[in-house]
Amino acid sequence: MDPPIYYSKAEFIETDTGNKVSRRATIAGPQNIILGGKTIISSGAIIRGDLRRTGPGHAVVISLGRYCLVGEGCVMRPPYKTYRGNFNYYPMKIGDHVHIGANSVVEAATIGNHVEIGKNCVIGKFTIIKDCAKIADNTIVPPNTVIPALSLFAGSPGRFIEDLPESTQEMVEAQTKQFYTRFQPLER
Amino acid sequence: MAPIRDKFTIHSKAIVCQDVELKGDITIGSGTIVHPKATIFAIAGPIVIGSSCIIEEGAIIVNRRKEVMRIGDDNLFEIGCRIESPTVGDFNTISTRARVHHTVRIGSYCVVGAGCLLVPTEDEILDDYTVVYGPAAERRKWSGRGKVQEADLRRKHAEYLREMLPKFNRLRRGDGT
Repeated sequence: MDPPIYYSKAEFIETDTGNKVSRRATIAGPQNIILGGKTIISSGAIIRGDLRRTGPGHAVVISLGRYCLVGEGCVMRPPYKTYRGNFNYYPMKIGDHVHIGANSVVEAATIGNHVEIGKNCVIGKFTIIKDCAKIADNTIVPPNTVIPALSLFAGSPGRFIEDLPESTQEMVEAQTKQFYTRFQPLER
Repeated sequence: MAPIRDKFTIHSKAIVCQDVELKGDITIGSGTIVHPKATIFAIAGPIVIGSSCIIEEGAIIVNRRKEVMRIGDDNLFEIGCRIESPTVGDFNTISTRARVHHTVRIGSYCVVGAGCLLVPTEDEILDDYTVVYGPAAERRKWSGRGKVQEADLRRKHAEYLREMLPKFNRLRRGDGT
């Protein structure tokens, strides 16, 4: 197994379900954000749970699944549009085992399970990313794009490059689980 | 160079979040929204921002020149963009991660696409309705179709943020109040 990645214990807050959230991340409207468990939010990340759908009652703005990673300096904010003349932000749903690289901007509507997003990517508004897809580093995905399952997207604008092997699901699952176990606190 | 003197004039109807970095002489007009983690630096000359602009998180606005940097009304600066141009007109959209150098003056109704670099060595003016797009920063003219709808969306967006942001974020006030 790869060597552990150490972080200082003082920097991260660990919840009962094993989520590790950096104190240096900016989290607006935390009551509207759901973390599935064993999810890591790195330092410098910005998560906007305050941009909620108008209307009465409790609104979930961003939900992340299990074993997710939000990289350093990432911005996650829900997409907006006007529908029937009313302006609104719409919820953003992210599945399990999703890794988002450093400094990416994500405004997707839905991201499936086992998705890998590289560094410095821009994911446009209302993008739908299906299961086991992969977005290469520095990709710019235009708004309203649908990225099919088991496909690799790269470039500006992001285009289909190749199909991924069927073993992707197991590979990504093992990788994300291993990353979580490698991410260990350093005492002192 | 003389040290930068901070002087913030924020209109009482503007929404400026607490977690915003401001430096130098900055004037923010009525109804303008500055999201948390945005940066506005008036290094040399002052910065004057008009009304109903939206400045999203991670956006950086810098004035390196001695003259006043004037930003018009109803502009949208998206996540992580960087603007140094001395003048910006009205109704422009600077998309996510775009960078505009201090040699470019922006007209009105322009769009700079996501991740575009606008860094010419000589001074130039971006005409009204110019759209800059793609990795090579190609240019086209916008016909102006859907202008009303676009303006409507911008107006509603600003209206929504003016209502919602104060509920979840601490706001910053100007020196006067």
